[in-house]
Amino acid sequence: MKVLKTIANCCLVFLCVISVCVIIAFIYYHYFVKDITIGVNNIDNQVGLDIQEIIKSDDLTEEEKDELKDRYFLEVNYYSNDKGNGIQLQELKMNYFTTTSLLSTDYRSTGMQYLGDYQGLPLDVWDGNTSVKFINPFGNNDRYYGTDDNAMKIVNSYVDKSFNYYDYTNGINWNGVTNENGSIATELKRTTEFIIKIDDRAFAISLNKYFDRDVGDLRNFFGIGWKVGDIYNRYYYTYGSLFQSCMQAVKTNSAGYGDYYITVDLSSLFSIKEYDYETKKFKTDDVTDIIKTYSVLKFHYDENGARNSTQSMFGIIDNNSKYDVSEDKIDTSYWQERMTYNLDVTSKLRGEDIFAYRYSEVYDGYFVSLTMDAKKLFAEIPRAKINITLDLNATYLTQKEINIVGLDYNAFENLELDTLTIRGGTQTVYLLEKSLFGTNLQTLNKSSGITFDGLQNAFDGELTGVMV
Amino acid sequence: MKKIIGLVILYILAFALIVAGVFCGLQLYKEIKAESYVNGSIDISNRFSQESFKYTSTSVVFYHDLYDDTDTYYFEKDLLKTENFDGENKKYNVVLNDYVLLNCEIKAGSVYATVNLDFYNTDGQIVNRSVMKISVKFLSGKTQLTLATTGNENASFLEQYFSDNGMRLQIIEIL
Repeated sequence: MKVLKTIANCCLVFLCVISVCVIIAFIYYHYFVKDITIGVNNIDNQVGLDIQEIIKSDDLTEEEKDELKDRYFLEVNYYSNDKGNGIQLQELKMNYFTTTSLLSTDYRSTGMQYLGDYQGLPLDVWDGNTSVKFINPFGNNDRYYGTDDNAMKIVNSYVDKSFNYYDYTNGINWNGVTNENGSIATELKRTTEFIIKIDDRAFAISLNKYFDRDVGDLRNFFGIGWKVGDIYNRYYYTYGSLFQSCMQAVKTNSAGYGDYYITVDLSSLFSIKEYDYETKKFKTDDVTDIIKTYSVLKFHYDENGARNSTQSMFGIIDNNSKYDVSEDKIDTSYWQERMTYNLDVTSKLRGEDIFAYRYSEVYDGYFVSLTMDAKKLFAEIPRAKINITLDLNATYLTQKEINIVGLDYNAFENLELDTLTIRGGTQTVYLLEKSLFGTNLQTLNKSSGITFDGLQNAFDGELTGVMV
Repeated sequence: MKKIIGLVILYILAFALIVAGVFCGLQLYKEIKAESYVNGSIDISNRFSQESFKYTSTSVVFYHDLYDDTDTYYFEKDLLKTENFDGENKKYNVVLNDYVLLNCEIKAGSVYATVNLDFYNTDGQIVNRSVMKISVKFLSGKTQLTLATTGNENASFLEQYFSDNGMRLQIIEIL
């Protein structure tokens, strides 16, 4: 028994000695040897990992494909109304994923919208708790709260009501009002975590940082005050802080108005955790001394004011998808639009003349027709309406020594013509076979000295009129 | 009795020392293994300029200057600088949505084009004829895009058209 006791005591002493050695080693390493470790997270585009497959789809327009490829964590839309022709509109959108698989099917966005220049919430709006103190030291939306459990509960559930919030999935934005009955929208609180993509890996990012500021432990004796120590107030950042910081960054960018990109430092606002695909959990980094987080901010900054909801990045202003400040609104409903092409002898396609000229020895002149390239082009354009003006005495033709005597075989066949105008002196214009077949020509204008030869074989429709 | 209390205190201290040792050991291991890292990269250098001109938007809103008595409505946009545009020595196609624009005036550092759009009602009658001027200026530090039309009605119909169809304006070099 005594031997065992001695052995146990020896082991205990041995363990204590080892512990002391480890503690000394730790103190020595921590304070005298250790290099500072720095972690850097660069948040670039938030495009799904399956984007290459998606953009092959024929169902998407080029514009939609561009939008899918140009997706960043932070996007700002800012109509400053410096020209006084609309309203001031500030919008911030966060694009993220709903799962760690990082696919385009998991896209989701949440946005904040403010009508005016956001300066932080007025303090008297805050329905604070007596244990919660708040001040507004820098004129922004940072607040001071206590650090007790009740205060933390209020801080973590705080949603700034001065914004309109919008959620986005599959092409539609909506506002799922947050109130005492709950919310069907993503609530932008300090506890909200977004899943984002870095290096094709999943990370969780949340706005949960704060800072402490020394306000001083003050004593006062008959009006004479002095500081006897330090007292720190804790200021918690909110999404209002992020919103205001982003607007400030956009307002002060050196390029001015336009559509540009900047890289902003989110380290003081957000903490970030990497997802471990093996354990299926987010890893907490408790050893990296400094974690820097940079993110691309894509923005549109406009000197105009916003006029209607199409200018909002959510397609809604003040929860109204038909928002429009125009006074004299016009009914713009229409069935179809058609592009009108006005062609003359100087018209060019890809730098070349749009008309081709064939010399005929029989007629001692040139017959005109549309080039094959132009015919192919107009065949591919939906609903193109074409007006052609042929000035037979045009300087352009004279310089090239081209005297037009008529329209060539199949010259404008199957091209949808609205108006054909032929100007010139006294001469006969020969319309060769099928030169105007399938054109659905409505109006044929001509100078008084011009007579047509072969119109019946050249045209298969009915003219509204031959105008002189 | 004093001896027993002394021993208990000694054991408690020893236990605390061992716990502290284990904690410091774990922390020491973590710190020794800790490495600086960089996750991801940011390269927006290619976002400061573009090789050829392309502008896409889901909507266009025209503005009328109150002090402008010409009744002209403008849509103006400052965009990224465009590299290598040379209207004197190269040929370009100007394409708006699905329409190749003809009769464009292409100068050394600018492009001007005119678009004529007719809008029909459900009876097939023309309800509006809009003429829109497009101007793209390739400046040293940015590209300036301007769309202009005359009258509130034309501006409204064009806004409706772009709201329905989006806007894709491209200036493509012909190789």
